[in-house]
Amino acid sequence: MRFLKGVFVAKIAALAVTALAAHGQSLNSTAQSRSLLKTDAVTYLFPEQVSVPAGKPSQVALHFRIAQGLHINSHTPSDDFLIPTTLSIPDGSGVRLASATYPAGTVIVLPIDPTTKLSVYTGEFIIQARIVATAGNHLVQGKLHYQACDNNQCMPPKTITVAIDVIGK
Amino acid sequence: MRRNTLVLGATLLILAIFAWAGWANWEYRRQEAERLLSGAGQGELVPAPGGGTPQYVSPLNGKPAPAFELEDLTGNKVSLESYRGKAVLINFWATWCGPCRIETPWIVELRNKYAAQGFEVLGVDTEGDDLEKSDKAGWAKATAAAGKFVAKEKIPYPVLLDGDSISRDYGGLDDLPTSFFVDRKGVVVAAQVGLTSESDIESKIQKALNQ
Repeated sequence: MRFLKGVFVAKIAALAVTALAAHGQSLNSTAQSRSLLKTDAVTYLFPEQVSVPAGKPSQVALHFRIAQGLHINSHTPSDDFLIPTTLSIPDGSGVRLASATYPAGTVIVLPIDPTTKLSVYTGEFIIQARIVATAGNHLVQGKLHYQACDNNQCMPPKTITVAIDVIGK
Repeated sequence: MRRNTLVLGATLLILAIFAWAGWANWEYRRQEAERLLSGAGQGELVPAPGGGTPQYVSPLNGKPAPAFELEDLTGNKVSLESYRGKAVLINFWATWCGPCRIETPWIVELRNKYAAQGFEVLGVDTEGDDLEKSDKAGWAKATAAAGKFVAKEKIPYPVLLDGDSISRDYGGLDDLPTSFFVDRKGVVVAAQVGLTSESDIESKIQKALNQ
């Protein structure tokens, strides 16, 4: 009987701890949903996982999609005040970005200002990343920094995570 | 008996924690919902009569423009309140925003045209949107970029920094350029998101002057 009481109290305590944890988590999810109110102009498509020879530079094609009606500056925008699209991999992930080859931008002209030409990406685009991985399994959180506009307005610069499971063999 | 009392007390305490967690969660969500639905919420584009430029209808229309005090490029503090009695165009922009660069010469021209009637522009730079307060190098770079643009365009009106700090009060500013037209009493009479035309901006300036 005494044992059953102990089990009962322990279960209630565990539930209370779960409730507190859930409370904290609900605050986080509310904050996340708030930030998602802003449009995600660029989505990372694939690959989710790659296998590469450990210690050797390997080419990986990273595919992205830009939301319809929007464009982002290419890696080499037409003016130095514009923010270029850049890929990076943080240090310490076991994977190094040796180099990245970006596609050439498409030249567009805004209807309201035919004198200004912009070098942009629209639709889907691919960045050829040359990576070097150490042996093992690495969950890489790459970063793509970009700034998106449509013909009349611009959104603030944004950085999205490019999550790839890199297996160095 | 004493043990039973202890078990009962512990159970009641745990149930009280449950109740508190539930109440706190509910209260937080209620406050967030109220904040999102408040007057500083998102506006919407509505078609103009006769098929003209779509008009941005801000929840701030008809309400006092939210007060602010920001530093200009030289470090002087500038408040909206100090312009009471003048019609003011609050123009949020950034150097990386192409459409902002297109409309700036229009705004400079219109400011010079209507200044004698009691009109002023406050350019609010949102350059540091993604900068931490402690990032001195980042802020210096942002300020330099804004200063370079101001010099190039010969902007005659105050350009204020750290616009992101007041963005929530003005509806979030998810897109640039965004402009609010404030009458002499400090009330928002029109707003615009995105590039429209010089004539559209001029008509809103006239509205702010004549209210």
